[in-house]
Amino acid sequence: MIKRVRFHGRGGQGMKTASRIVGTASFLEEFFVQDCPLYGAERRGAPMVAFTRLSKEPIFERGIITSPDINMIADETLLGDKSANVFQGTWEGTITIVNTHYPASHVRNVYGVVGEIVTLDITEIALNVIGESVLSSTAAAVVCKLTGMITESSLEKAVIKELSSINLKKELIEKNLQAALTCFDRIPETHPHYFEPIKEDKMDEIVKLEYADPRIGTPSVYAKGNTRLKKTGNWRLFRPVIDHEKCSRCRTCFVYCPHSCISIDEGDYPQIDYENCKGCLTCFYECPKKVISKDHEVRAW
Amino acid sequence: MSMKNAVYTKFKDISREEHISPGTALCTGCGGLLALRLAYKVLGENVVIVNAAGCFTLLSVYPYNPFSSSWMYTAMASAPAGAQGIRDALDILIKKGKLKSEENLKVVVLTGDGAANDIGLQSTSAAIHRGLDFHYFCYDNEAYSNTGFQMSSATPYGSRTATSLPGEINPQGTVQRKKDLFEIWRAHKPPYLATVSPSHPVDLSNKFEKASKFEGPKLFIALSPCPPGWSFGASNSVNIARLAVQTGIWPLKEAVYGEVKHTVIPKFKPVEKYLRTQNRYNHLFNPVKQVDVIDNIKKDVEQYWERYLDS
Amino acid sequence: MVKEMLTGNYAAAWGARLSEVDYVPAFPITPQTEIIETLSQWINDGEMNAKFTNMDSEHSMITAAGTAAATGARVFSATSSQGLLYGYEMLYNVTGWRVPLVLVNVSRGLSAPITLEPDHNDILSTRDSGFIQIHAETCQEVLDTILMAYRIAEDERVLLPVLINMDGFYLSFTREPVEIPCKDAVSRFLPEYNPKHAFFKASKPMSQGVAVLGGSAYSYFKYQMHLASLNVLTVHDEVAGEFKRIFGRSYSATEAFKIDDAEYVIIMSNSFTIKGKAAVNKFREKGLKAGLLRLRLIRPFPSTELKAFLRGKKAVAVIDQNISPGSGGILFKDVTTALYHDPDRPERILSFIGGLGGKDIGHAEFKHIVEEMEKSIETGIVPETQLLYTKNDLEHINNLLNIAGNPLEGLEN
Repeated sequence: MIKRVRFHGRGGQGMKTASRIVGTASFLEEFFVQDCPLYGAERRGAPMVAFTRLSKEPIFERGIITSPDINMIADETLLGDKSANVFQGTWEGTITIVNTHYPASHVRNVYGVVGEIVTLDITEIALNVIGESVLSSTAAAVVCKLTGMITESSLEKAVIKELSSINLKKELIEKNLQAALTCFDRIPETHPHYFEPIKEDKMDEIVKLEYADPRIGTPSVYAKGNTRLKKTGNWRLFRPVIDHEKCSRCRTCFVYCPHSCISIDEGDYPQIDYENCKGCLTCFYECPKKVISKDHEVRAW
Repeated sequence: MSMKNAVYTKFKDISREEHISPGTALCTGCGGLLALRLAYKVLGENVVIVNAAGCFTLLSVYPYNPFSSSWMYTAMASAPAGAQGIRDALDILIKKGKLKSEENLKVVVLTGDGAANDIGLQSTSAAIHRGLDFHYFCYDNEAYSNTGFQMSSATPYGSRTATSLPGEINPQGTVQRKKDLFEIWRAHKPPYLATVSPSHPVDLSNKFEKASKFEGPKLFIALSPCPPGWSFGASNSVNIARLAVQTGIWPLKEAVYGEVKHTVIPKFKPVEKYLRTQNRYNHLFNPVKQVDVIDNIKKDVEQYWERYLDS
Repeated sequence: MVKEMLTGNYAAAWGARLSEVDYVPAFPITPQTEIIETLSQWINDGEMNAKFTNMDSEHSMITAAGTAAATGARVFSATSSQGLLYGYEMLYNVTGWRVPLVLVNVSRGLSAPITLEPDHNDILSTRDSGFIQIHAETCQEVLDTILMAYRIAEDERVLLPVLINMDGFYLSFTREPVEIPCKDAVSRFLPEYNPKHAFFKASKPMSQGVAVLGGSAYSYFKYQMHLASLNVLTVHDEVAGEFKRIFGRSYSATEAFKIDDAEYVIIMSNSFTIKGKAAVNKFREKGLKAGLLRLRLIRPFPSTELKAFLRGKKAVAVIDQNISPGSGGILFKDVTTALYHDPDRPERILSFIGGLGGKDIGHAEFKHIVEEMEKSIETGIVPETQLLYTKNDLEHINNLLNIAGNPLEGLEN
């Protein structure tokens, strides 16, 4: 039996480490195992994925998991993000676990999830126990439990090993461990209805590439400033909000925005482009009048 | 010390026009991107950027492009040579009447400190030596950040990178002093050379404005606080850049045909204050304070400014 | 039109001059230097309306050549051996930018040990870069091929750069009569370069050479280069036809010498081919039906043409003037791959390595090759790749070993 785990998070949330903790825990259980992160061009805050495969038999797969058995969505803002495509390849046998305080039924109603769905407010546990919203050990613990194949003791050893290897301080590892075990306990015993995927094979077809006009066949971009289309607003954890009533129109926020996301309107007031603002909060800290506030980003619903 | 006849005196003088669109793949709060955005406002639209491999390669990833102007990706070692090719081609095509002169572009090299100080130093030196009419913008984040923050020869003494980690043998982390690229460039006596900081947009804008009056190499080193590499919160880039200037760690200066002038005399805030803002210096304070290393850093700053203030 | 005694290097410079190139970025290396010296002088004297820039390395030179071509200029440069390898990274960049510059390589054996005379490991190391490759046999062919190369490279069906190869010393420093076409005829043959896909101008901003992440996009652009290169098989023949109409000289992708009734065929490339042709003549005097094929277009590789020429032959011997240590001759593989599926393919294909570092290939070697071909037909056994190395060569190296202070001497006692 093979379990394919896909982790969805944002750069910096710890999903690569989570995939490695699950990998090491499986290794300690003497399973066949692979783990790997997928690096794109995007950086801290951008949607990212990581993968772990564990199996009692040799694994004849490698690379991206297009159809996960366990789908960890560690950041609920990714649910509505088309570019993150978190439900890609989920099927009746997939268990999707979402880090949210909403109940599973709510997620299913809004997103029409296929397969099993479990929710747990992992962030809350991390904040309470560790003191910051780092989700590596907690997300890993949830996944370990859901596999039904990994013991608490292997999880424990794996957390210590992986967090030590990224030079985490001892007391922080302790706290992570505690948070991880809390999560492990909060997930009910393994779900009984695991079954091997019986998926319809939708075979792709081979096509013949033809010679293209060199204006198309060369990797050149003719569009001006189309990075706007990427809408990097989904990287944001906090939303800066300008109190225009109190704003002195000094333009400090506009001048210091690294991402060209603040413009000056006709009334000489700064306006934030929320579609693209990554939420670095430079404006919040630099505003000399302190009339910019930061709000926890509106959730996915 | 303010510049004489400065075009820019306040934030309101800075152009509202943007030449880099939002939505790039660069890190949240990137200090280098802010410096480039501010520089672009002075350079204007008729620009072709020649990019060396580095963080900023990711500004333009197919099929996206943040610019309202042109871009050419070359390689890590040879962006200045790429700039030479474009400049020469534009010149000869205009001379031969194959291109109208209003189609002319400013050629701007964009490199990180690794390309500028290490692998691309030869082609940079050669381009300056040839008197190439171009702008050179080095975003100095003091390491190979794009590959995960390894040591470059612009990495400062006492800081931590992924390949100069503090440990048993070298508790201070990076052993070497930061290469003095400004002085290396200055030895070529280019018409214009300056350091800039994203914390000082008015100073930065005036320098780009002033440079535009010179034909030949116009070189800039921009301090570029790097949230993931220097290990600090994304909102702190401007503040850290400002502290670098205020402590005297990052002198803001220019050199016209080799004559150096400092454009900001710092308030000499304690160097420690700057170091403590970034986790790449954390090992100098925890678990035990490495007083000797911190003193060495202070001494370097003091000696630099003594030399300048005496002369 | 005038005929003059020209070296291969001078002929190359004339090729660039007649092509009215806009730009020559340069870096010296023996035995290529005369090309850029000549161009530098002509440009300086106002005889050529072009820009010449001394660069700081071949890496920089090829970068500047590529970006200038990406700006819309017609660009020429030359290099050799170590220089080509020093700029290697940029060869792949320039082809990826799909810009049609022409670069002459003057072949020279690769270091270490450093040497001066030719073999083709330098040029063949770039065979997978996407550059079109044409290898010349004579000084005239060098000049003519440059004119043809711009027509091919700038064709919308191609838009890839071209590397033209000539042997160091054997062509580069050797003078022979070369016809220099007149300017008018050349302008009739080669129109101005007017790129639609790659240029820099204020009115039409463009991002070139941008990063491509993800395999499907990367595969698409890479494969376009392959398709573009394959188009050269057609475009080359069209251009060669036009060239013949205007200038009277005829070139094909592979040159066949006394091949029609030949039973034994030797395959060679570049200037040493003349030695092979002489050997063929001698064999024919003795009643042996020998012939020769010269590989001229190396990329794209003209498999179909090659197959047609070699159909039904008894035996073929490929002389590779290069060596891939641990594998053998580089062109041998291209030839055998092209022939494999032909039901009428030659009975035997033999592989020889010769002429490394400019070592002569004499008649003894050619005789040996033919004898090996005959023997192979008789016995049915195909020998492993052989080095063409004679007793005289061995004596020569033994002398040198002794002068160098052979440390093994006397050890056996």
